[in-house]
Amino acid sequence: MKTSTSSSLCAIIPVNCILNCSNQLAYPCSFSLKLSRGNRVLKVSQLKASFWESIRSGLIKNNSTQVIEPPSSTPQEDEEQEPLPEEFVLVEKTLPDGTIEQIIFSSGGDVDIYDLQSLCDKVGWPRRPLSKLAAALRNSYMVATLHSIKKSAAGEELDNEKKLIGMARATSDHAFNATIWDVLVDPSYQGQGLGKALIEKIIRALLQRDIGNITLFADSKVVEFYRNLGFEADPEGIKGMFWYPRF
Amino acid sequence: MAVVGSVNGGSLHSKFQTLPPAKIFNSQKRSTLHRRPPSPPIFISTNLSDVNPIHLQDLYSSCNHSCHRFPNISPDGRVEPVDVDKLRIALSHSSVVVSVFARPETVTSLPENLNTGGDWYRRMIPLTPFSGKLVGFGRAVSDNGLTASIYDVMVIPSLQGRGIGRMILQRIIRLLTNKGIYDIAALCSDQEMGFFKACGFGDDILGSTTMMYTRSGNHIMVKSAGRKVLMVPPLRKP
Repeated sequence: MKTSTSSSLCAIIPVNCILNCSNQLAYPCSFSLKLSRGNRVLKVSQLKASFWESIRSGLIKNNSTQVIEPPSSTPQEDEEQEPLPEEFVLVEKTLPDGTIEQIIFSSGGDVDIYDLQSLCDKVGWPRRPLSKLAAALRNSYMVATLHSIKKSAAGEELDNEKKLIGMARATSDHAFNATIWDVLVDPSYQGQGLGKALIEKIIRALLQRDIGNITLFADSKVVEFYRNLGFEADPEGIKGMFWYPRF
Repeated sequence: MAVVGSVNGGSLHSKFQTLPPAKIFNSQKRSTLHRRPPSPPIFISTNLSDVNPIHLQDLYSSCNHSCHRFPNISPDGRVEPVDVDKLRIALSHSSVVVSVFARPETVTSLPENLNTGGDWYRRMIPLTPFSGKLVGFGRAVSDNGLTASIYDVMVIPSLQGRGIGRMILQRIIRLLTNKGIYDIAALCSDQEMGFFKACGFGDDILGSTTMMYTRSGNHIMVKSAGRKVLMVPPLRKP
């Protein structure tokens, strides 16, 4: 049900999708990583979107420039660093009326856009276009979410009791740099260490892939929160600057 | 005159540009500002396949630029060379990649020697990413929806100060704004801040603070990033 929601969003805004598709063909990004490994010629024509590019690449004798492809072997996992499971129960507690509430952490990125929009409203963030939000989530390196599931005392899941209570996402170039954006936790669930858990999991996932430059842009009210998590403000004079459109 | 191609989401075309002398470029606004020498004829490409990772690694070394924010610096001030495989991965996941090529002779010879008659045949060869030498680079990573971050903008030292870096940055910005992304960030050190400010970057409008993860530790699980040894947060319940 959730996937059909996001695909109908794509149909509403075709222009954005076209732009996204053409860019994904020109730059081999995660979209093309999932293609199976054919022989080299086939791979080149899949990566290049234009006819003349494929002609030119065929004429090149020295093919060293064509090797913009991901490494064929996955990095070995050390025994001491367990790979992060995609979904697990973070906290479980029993409420006074006997129902059990579980808070599930998930890094699968399965987020309902409308749930996210209402969560953003709850924390007081300005509204952003839904299509852009959907595109941003699709193309983020990692989207970590917290859902709350309520179960009856017998252990069966109650209907309509799974709700989104927290999210954080990170964009990255998969090698050196990552930036964490949009960290939010439902106000009624704040103060329990959930935000801290979200961030720590993301940092852990990033460091396990050797992505060492982890950055974020913190609102003045939450600078202290991130400092406690190991972030330093303007380290060694490094500042973040933003583009100002000049009209 | 500069040849400006059609405005597009057009990352597939490479454009051939010759820059007019600096004073015409700036005539409308700041003609009182310092005159920079004109840029040599260059070829700007936004095509990822025009970038040869080995040449790019050499460019990183010539500019003494590191991919790590806190690089290990050897006693003579050089940073460690960038890992080519990681560079390839980074390039394939960057939304925008801009590379600038110039003729090899403009890089090595002095300006006075360029117009001597004997080299006319060399100037007949069209400048392409294959005949030219990689002299400038810039890339941006985005989520193709809301935000983007610019990294690794560099020009070889002998051609700095001539407007090439600014061109790279403006091309990256144009490609991003064509996709509808207006939230563009760039991390910069003290030396780079002047460059970014001059190209229209400033402090965040909302007053946010830039923070980076720098927690080091004696914990069992650490990862090194340049000269920082970062602590990997342990798995635990809140």
